[in-house]
Amino acid sequence: MSEEIRGLDLKILSRLMGTLKPYRWQVVTSVVALGMGALSELAVPLLLQNGIDKGLLAHDLAHLTLVSAGILASIVVTMMTSFYQVYMLSKISQSVMLDLRTSLMARFQRQSSAWLLSHPQGRLVSAVTSDVSTLSEFFNTLFTSLLKDFVMMGGVVVALFVLHPLLAFWTVVTLPPVFVLVLLFGSWNRKANRRVRAQVSRVNAFLSEHLQGIGVVQLFGRQKAARATFSQENTELLAANLAERTINAVFRPLIDVLWAVSLGFLVWFGTQLFLHPDSSGTLTVGVLIAFITLVSRFYNPVASLAENFTALQSAMAGAERVFHFLETEVMVPDRGHLALGEAPHANIEFREVRFRYLPEEPVLQGLTFKVLEGQTVALVGTTGAGKTTITSLLTRLWDIDSGAILFGGNDLRDYQLSSLRGGIQSVLQDVFLFSGTVFDNIDLGRGLPRGRIEEVCRQVQAHGFIQALPLGYDTLLNEGATNLSSGQRQLVSFARVLAQDPKVLILDEATANIDTETEGMIQQALQVLLKDRTSLVIAHRLSTIRKADRILVLDRGIIAQSGTHEELLAQGGLYADVYKLQFESSSD
Amino acid sequence: MLKTFASLLPYLRRYAWWYFAGLACLLLTNAGQIQFPQWLKQAVNAIASGHPEVTQISSLMVGMAATALVIALGRVGWRVFIIGAARRIEKELRQDLVDHLLSMPASWFAGQRIGDLMARATNDIEAVRMAIGMVLVALTDAVTISGAILVFLLIQDPLLGLIIVSPLPVITVLIVVFGGKVGVLFKKVQEEYSSLSTFAQENLAGSRVVKAFVQEASVDARFRRANEAYLDANMELVKLWGFFFPIISALSGLSALFLLYWGGQDVMSGKLSPGDFTAYLSYLGMLIWPLMGAGMVVNWLQRGAASLLRLREVLDTKPTIVAEGDLPRPKNFDLEFRNLSFAYSSEGPTVLSNLNFRIPQGQFVGVLGRVGSGKTTLAALLPRTFDPPAGTVFLGGQDIRNYRLDDLRSCFSVVPQSTFLFSDTIRNNIAFARPETPDDRLRVLAELSTISRDIEALSQGWETEVGERGITLSGGQKQRLSLSRALNVDAPILLLDDALSAVDLDTEEKIIDHLKATRLGKTNLLISHRVATLRHCDVVLVLDKGRIVDFGTHAELMAREGFYAETARLQHVEFVVGGSP
Repeated sequence: MSEEIRGLDLKILSRLMGTLKPYRWQVVTSVVALGMGALSELAVPLLLQNGIDKGLLAHDLAHLTLVSAGILASIVVTMMTSFYQVYMLSKISQSVMLDLRTSLMARFQRQSSAWLLSHPQGRLVSAVTSDVSTLSEFFNTLFTSLLKDFVMMGGVVVALFVLHPLLAFWTVVTLPPVFVLVLLFGSWNRKANRRVRAQVSRVNAFLSEHLQGIGVVQLFGRQKAARATFSQENTELLAANLAERTINAVFRPLIDVLWAVSLGFLVWFGTQLFLHPDSSGTLTVGVLIAFITLVSRFYNPVASLAENFTALQSAMAGAERVFHFLETEVMVPDRGHLALGEAPHANIEFREVRFRYLPEEPVLQGLTFKVLEGQTVALVGTTGAGKTTITSLLTRLWDIDSGAILFGGNDLRDYQLSSLRGGIQSVLQDVFLFSGTVFDNIDLGRGLPRGRIEEVCRQVQAHGFIQALPLGYDTLLNEGATNLSSGQRQLVSFARVLAQDPKVLILDEATANIDTETEGMIQQALQVLLKDRTSLVIAHRLSTIRKADRILVLDRGIIAQSGTHEELLAQGGLYADVYKLQFESSSD
Repeated sequence: MLKTFASLLPYLRRYAWWYFAGLACLLLTNAGQIQFPQWLKQAVNAIASGHPEVTQISSLMVGMAATALVIALGRVGWRVFIIGAARRIEKELRQDLVDHLLSMPASWFAGQRIGDLMARATNDIEAVRMAIGMVLVALTDAVTISGAILVFLLIQDPLLGLIIVSPLPVITVLIVVFGGKVGVLFKKVQEEYSSLSTFAQENLAGSRVVKAFVQEASVDARFRRANEAYLDANMELVKLWGFFFPIISALSGLSALFLLYWGGQDVMSGKLSPGDFTAYLSYLGMLIWPLMGAGMVVNWLQRGAASLLRLREVLDTKPTIVAEGDLPRPKNFDLEFRNLSFAYSSEGPTVLSNLNFRIPQGQFVGVLGRVGSGKTTLAALLPRTFDPPAGTVFLGGQDIRNYRLDDLRSCFSVVPQSTFLFSDTIRNNIAFARPETPDDRLRVLAELSTISRDIEALSQGWETEVGERGITLSGGQKQRLSLSRALNVDAPILLLDDALSAVDLDTEEKIIDHLKATRLGKTNLLISHRVATLRHCDVVLVLDKGRIVDFGTHAELMAREGFYAETARLQHVEFVVGGSP
């Protein structure tokens, strides 16, 4: 809320208007409809005056009938135009939202992982959802409320002068106080409203979080504290609501008082004019009635004027965030033109690679190694040694600071990003599945034939349990795939990768959480995945490490040792130490 | 419906005087509103007569001013009293709901969706507020204002009155009929919005997978479809809602037209004075809101009743853990299971059957077993997250059901299987159970779980926000943070429910060492799949299909060719089979 924009920022305003470009003809026709609607609405009091003075008081039934027909026509025109205008403007603002949402999402997806990690996910989601929604509010407020209100209020003033300039002058003199009131209460109301909204979101955040974490709250015996905190938030919400109510409770009746004051003035000066007729013409009863009607129309939109300005301003703040995100450059440039399939071989080479996530914390410090086509290389090392980083660099989730990473003798950056990522696949410990069917999660929108998917699942031993699910491959997975066990999730992720048949496989071996039976299945499935494929494995299991063609021991961003299991044990050093610590004592 | 609202009586009674005062103000305002056109009528008649007198006009002006003031004061009054009361009741209702939710057991929450509970605490309470606030106002307006005006019009000239009022009741009918339909369409819009928002959220969370499988284009297309569905739902709503106000203003225009045409003829014939004509015109304008309100009252009441029922559904569910004892926290913390059998529901499968085991205070006990063998259930029964049958679980020689619930729970520090952290700073998450924990103690806690090294690496350190609004922690980091949080309680019994599964072996080893060194004389219960970890325990229970099939030290279990030894072999095949290198 701190980002509220003061006044109207012209740059954002012009960008906002720019989003209307594809719909400019619809905008023009709806604005025309709006104008026509306002004119026909204003025509009614004028016709009324005419009907009263020239028909009713002149005892001319024919004229009265004619005027009545005119009013009927303007009622119909008003109704049609306002429906057209509401419909078209909704359509336009909805379309603009669709455009912005899809391009924002497309933009976010193509940002580097570094960028995505440095922006809290909640903010990105709210940019796509609620910030864009405020834009539709912007257009609705601007066109259906503000523009229309101003046209009407201006129209009323013009109509007054057309009817009777002198009386109009004295009537209009009474109007300015209302704007002072609007400005004054507008800013109070804005503050009160901001306080309410902020507090509503605090209460909701508190609730949703404590309901999700109810288990933790209860286990730690924090119900009383939670109750007390909620009571505070809830009381503050009441206070905010009551403060807003008080402002409204005073503001709206005050406007009504001013309206009555204007009417009083009108009657008073009307009488004066009647008693002292002058050059500006006499006052008729019809004119007086028309004035009374018109002044009421003038006061109608005043009450909501302040609210509309507030809506406009918060919409601009939302728009600014949206445009900011749309302008952010995509940080992993995709300028390569090679396809991974064109590479002469599948060797991977790291040359003096340096990389850090944060300026003062180097992760890789001149890393050099080579993986030959078809080899399985195991990466071992302590937590934080940079193992996971290596896998992220290979798929260009991040770009390196210096040095080079080569695939098939070419720099990674020379490949098309899509081709690179399609050919170098990683299987992560933390399996992320989308809510959708099992089939969709393996197929990932490529439309592979059912038979192919089943074949792949059979190879990684996932077919059995998938078949046993209530709807087989069409079973819907929950958010977080909680209806599968972690072992089953792991197998689905294997199937997903195998369906891609990647040239290179990066595997972050699962450490635990899987019972022994599933473990056995996973080990077998892994053999299928690794067979004849250039693979880089972040290994935790001795069996995997020993089967590898070569072992790289990482320590603080460099290769400390490399060789086969036997060679490394014979060498002594870090590997032998870690090995002894972890595995030897289990024979006690 | 009356019966439904009767449950609100205790709340309403507390604010009875507020409602009376509000109603009085409202009636005053309405009387003023009905009077106002009468002043206009006299003024117009005076002018139309051709010779208005200044004294008459002056007294009219005074009357108008006084009436306007009464209307204004009455309006301030009813807003303060009626809306004030409704807001206060809303707050009390929300507090009662949340208090109730906080006392509901885990077994109840297992069957609920958070989104649905949230909807009850927000939308439903708001619907109830409308029913106990605006309904009263709209109903009073409908009865007094439209009643008075109709009586006035019909007495003056029944036929003319009927003609000119005839278009207006359509407004009420329209609102009653379309109100429900609009509600349905609006719900559809909200559903589409929430599925669009879920889609965005999920694909941003899984952006790594999207990238890895080059699915950007497919996500684009699917997101566009979700957006189109949202647009369509909105346009359906606009087709109905967009017609609404234009029709209402057309109807009110129509009634003014009838007045001009037929009332005009009465003016010509002298049956109606120009002042009456003006008053009629004002009255017609005044009728619109009460007639709209009358229609809305029906919708508000229906929605309010439905929402109140949904609230009562939650509020009337009694917490199932009611058999709370009155024993305070015991002096010794020996745990014992006697013939413990457990099923989550009477029809459900038996999860634990006939468990008998004793864990003396101070032991480091491990639990191993397949997925579904009952390990987590066992841990959940101890702090009565789920309730064990009477006479099966004992702490300090007493059935755990005899203790006060708070005292019982204070005997356990729990690190659950799935980690839940609050979106708050790292400091506040670790200090959760004891917000006043001093910094140096927090630092010690962070070192015990080794999360300290991760905190140091963060640019904002202890003040780093985690969760939705902050950084995303890895699975292992979350688990270690959750461990530090549990250790802050330093309870006599620590339950680790597979809570280090995402931590690497090396680190896990360090953590176990820390626990052994700092928790002397206290009990630790460690559920794990890793033999490498379990071998540090004094004794390991092996669970299978809800039974204890084996127990003993690491060496004893390795010597027997059971599930434990088999698991060990699978986890370190070469080592166990092939001997040392």
